[in-house]
Amino acid sequence: MTRVIGGVGAFVIMHVFILRRLLGLCFVFLGVSVLTFAIAQLVPVDPAASALGGQAREGQIQAYRQQLGLDRPVWEQYGRYMLRLAQGDLGNSIRTRRPVTSDLRDFFPATLELSLSALLVSVCLGVPLGIAAALKRSQWGDVLARMAALIGGSMPIFYVGALGLNFFYRHLRWIPGGGRLDVTLNPPRAITGLFTVDALLTGNWPVFNNAVWHLILPALTLGYFSTAVLLRITRSSVLEAMQQDYVRTAKAKGLPHRLVVLRHIFKNALPPILTTLGITFGSLLSGAVLTETIFNWPGLGRYVTTSVLNLDLPAVMGVTLLIAFVYPALNTLVDIAYTFVDPRMRSQ
Amino acid sequence: MMSKSLNSRRRILKLLAGSAPAALLAACVAPQAAAPAAPAAPAAPAATEAPKPTEAPAAAPTEAPKATEAPAAPAESGPTRAETLIFGSDTTDIISLDPAVAYEFSGIQAEASCYECLVSPEPGTPGVKPLLAESWEAKEDGDTLTFTFKLNAKAKFASGKPVTSEDVVYSWGRAVDLNKSPAFLLTDIIGLKKENMSAPDAGTFVVKFPKATGQGVFLSAIGFTVAAVVEKAVVEANKGEDMGSTWLNDHSAGSGPYTLNKWEREVQVVLDANPNYWGTAPKLKRVIMQNIKDAANRLSAIETGDADIVQDLSPEQKKSLEGNADVKVISANNTQLIYLGMNAKKAPLDNVDVRQAIRYAINYDEIIALTEGDAALVQEIIPAGFLGYQGTNPFKQDIAKAKELLAKAGVKEGVEIEALVPSDYPAGPIDFPTLAAKIQSDLAKVGIVLKLKQMQISELLGVYRKQEGNIVFILWGPDFSDPHTNAGPFSDYEAKSIAWRNGWENKEIAALAKEAASAPTDAERIALYAKFNERMLNEGPYAVLYQPLRTFGIRANLDGFMFDPSDTPSLTFAAMGKK
Repeated sequence: MTRVIGGVGAFVIMHVFILRRLLGLCFVFLGVSVLTFAIAQLVPVDPAASALGGQAREGQIQAYRQQLGLDRPVWEQYGRYMLRLAQGDLGNSIRTRRPVTSDLRDFFPATLELSLSALLVSVCLGVPLGIAAALKRSQWGDVLARMAALIGGSMPIFYVGALGLNFFYRHLRWIPGGGRLDVTLNPPRAITGLFTVDALLTGNWPVFNNAVWHLILPALTLGYFSTAVLLRITRSSVLEAMQQDYVRTAKAKGLPHRLVVLRHIFKNALPPILTTLGITFGSLLSGAVLTETIFNWPGLGRYVTTSVLNLDLPAVMGVTLLIAFVYPALNTLVDIAYTFVDPRMRSQ
Repeated sequence: MMSKSLNSRRRILKLLAGSAPAALLAACVAPQAAAPAAPAAPAAPAATEAPKPTEAPAAAPTEAPKATEAPAAPAESGPTRAETLIFGSDTTDIISLDPAVAYEFSGIQAEASCYECLVSPEPGTPGVKPLLAESWEAKEDGDTLTFTFKLNAKAKFASGKPVTSEDVVYSWGRAVDLNKSPAFLLTDIIGLKKENMSAPDAGTFVVKFPKATGQGVFLSAIGFTVAAVVEKAVVEANKGEDMGSTWLNDHSAGSGPYTLNKWEREVQVVLDANPNYWGTAPKLKRVIMQNIKDAANRLSAIETGDADIVQDLSPEQKKSLEGNADVKVISANNTQLIYLGMNAKKAPLDNVDVRQAIRYAINYDEIIALTEGDAALVQEIIPAGFLGYQGTNPFKQDIAKAKELLAKAGVKEGVEIEALVPSDYPAGPIDFPTLAAKIQSDLAKVGIVLKLKQMQISELLGVYRKQEGNIVFILWGPDFSDPHTNAGPFSDYEAKSIAWRNGWENKEIAALAKEAASAPTDAERIALYAKFNERMLNEGPYAVLYQPLRTFGIRANLDGFMFDPSDTPSLTFAAMGKK
């Protein structure tokens, strides 16, 4: 086995690695854009007429079609789009009539904040419970994991969300209703776009508190399903690591139990958990569509639903490309994270 | 070894924080914004937000501070909750808050508080009352009508400057030049040309247009927000590349009781009382139009008192509020008509007897029962609340008569007709598929097999517009508060609107509608609309089913709530206060 490469070596490898990923991303973009364009052509709806509504005059629709370039051949529309995309311009939304980039900038942080909070919920619950279940190796862990997975799978988000709102908001009034903030409050000055983070950064405590209260129920609703998944993976992965020879050796040489668990078992059990986290986060982003609808959350999910129904191609394309970027980006992050937890990866 | 690995970990973290978010930024932020934001952005958020590598993207979607939010103070110093009206409704339809551009219910609702027109509709009666104009005179000259308006000398903009005729000429001309959705009211309905407007002095505005338009139609159309007066100097100073349209989405430049504080897309529109308002000052200092898309959330919002008014409650929700002392429920006439269109170019619907048979086959009373009373039986083309509405409902289910008409037309038992049904669109209190299923069972009784085809509304409209539908279930809402807003499109084939979509051309009836529109007195107009109704109902390609009611939930401590169906918007925020 070669010596573990650290320092400058790792730095170079990382760069090559990220460059390769970025190159791959170009192909993903190409594929996604062609596919989205093709689908849009198959739908028998005129986006211009759809945007102007049932009472628009013919002349207006024609004018809008021309303005949008919809009267040109498909390949020309596609070419123009890609050319603009190369310059970082996602075009204008047909429905909101603003640059898609502005729309994404407004709505993506809301979804990101919700997904991250949900991820936090599932990590904080799923991982410790999974470890505990494996270490105790008793029946209850198994039962808990199965129950959680069953409940998670059989009670869809929209049901749990509506139930939670009805109970905790409408009846008990413990938590505020939908939205990211009470309407009487002003959002914090936008730095990251995440209200909780921005409120902290600007020291705006009332807004921070309110934003957290608004996040609790949606984050729990969105996060509980992945908690079950994470719990099971953690448990099985930890169980597997516990069987390894090095764990037996560590125990034999008299290392305290806490250190055995932390350094030898948990660290070696991490890679599958990380992979699951990456996938989970992706599914959280898509799960946000339902959660956002129920909780009146002004995020990307709600934006894309409305856009799809109006056949707002630039908007749908913008969201698709953003998600198409986030997925590989996450995978890259997970891959990089591997190299921390498992030094063997760095030498490969 | 430990320290070394920590060292490389930091490097990679740095690398990550530097490159990944920057790349993401490039993807979701416009290039000009990315350039200044990139170097500074990742550092701060990464420090607080990225303890785990998976969370690193949190740092990514960094926003450049928005111009509109910049002045917003972090601490709340604005009006209290008691001085604020929170109006909860689905406002996803807003695309613009520029009066020359907006043609969506919520957008108009918001801007009607910020802008004023020369005249305003008189609630409850046809006709208009003075607003920015204190008086006007009409003069006929051959085929041309000339209106001379005297502006109210007291009228002033939120900036404190007086409203002048120069502003009126500018505002109307701007709407014509921009040529967005509502512009047809000025150009097509009135027949307005820019060169026919003039401002002989600051307090006098003169406009000429074809006599055929009719005075009533003209006055109604200019009471709509597209003819609202914007402050020329302010808009010109912020005109950008689109005559100030973009700027007007986040600012207002009108003379109304409120000014636009902010429009947070998809979240809320906030209006603040105009301290310089020249009329009666609004009772509440702030109005928040909150976007609550889901009906269940609207119910919760009114029950908890988080909202003062919610719009559009379902019949079940209405029931669940019975006995709640804190909430009043008001159902009011909506001016929409739910109808089915029958394409007169497609057999067997091209035969007037078949269309008449269908009108006699429908059980209207059972449809009203289906809506649990949240709809009014209306069979005329002109909705209740408008001049020319008569309230004759000549059709009642008559199976024998329907069969007789079908036999006369030579239509065999079991004839199949395709009907398009919007799959995802409310037909007032019930949905279209439910309504269509009911009518399918009615028509089965006279031997017509209705083949229902559900479609997304945008797809359905595409087919309808191309004259390709057979029977189409759909609705229509008035564009302005004059009967011609319905009588015109439903009768005029040339206008390429509803009559055209149904392949129905009848020059006599179309001429009758035009005559009714331009008749000089209300009495003459009413008489002509009676004639029009009689023919339209029996010969036309429509079966009008009902006029839905709109249900509001209102907190008991709110007063001044009034819903005026003939006006758009139908609610006046400035008149509302709290007990």
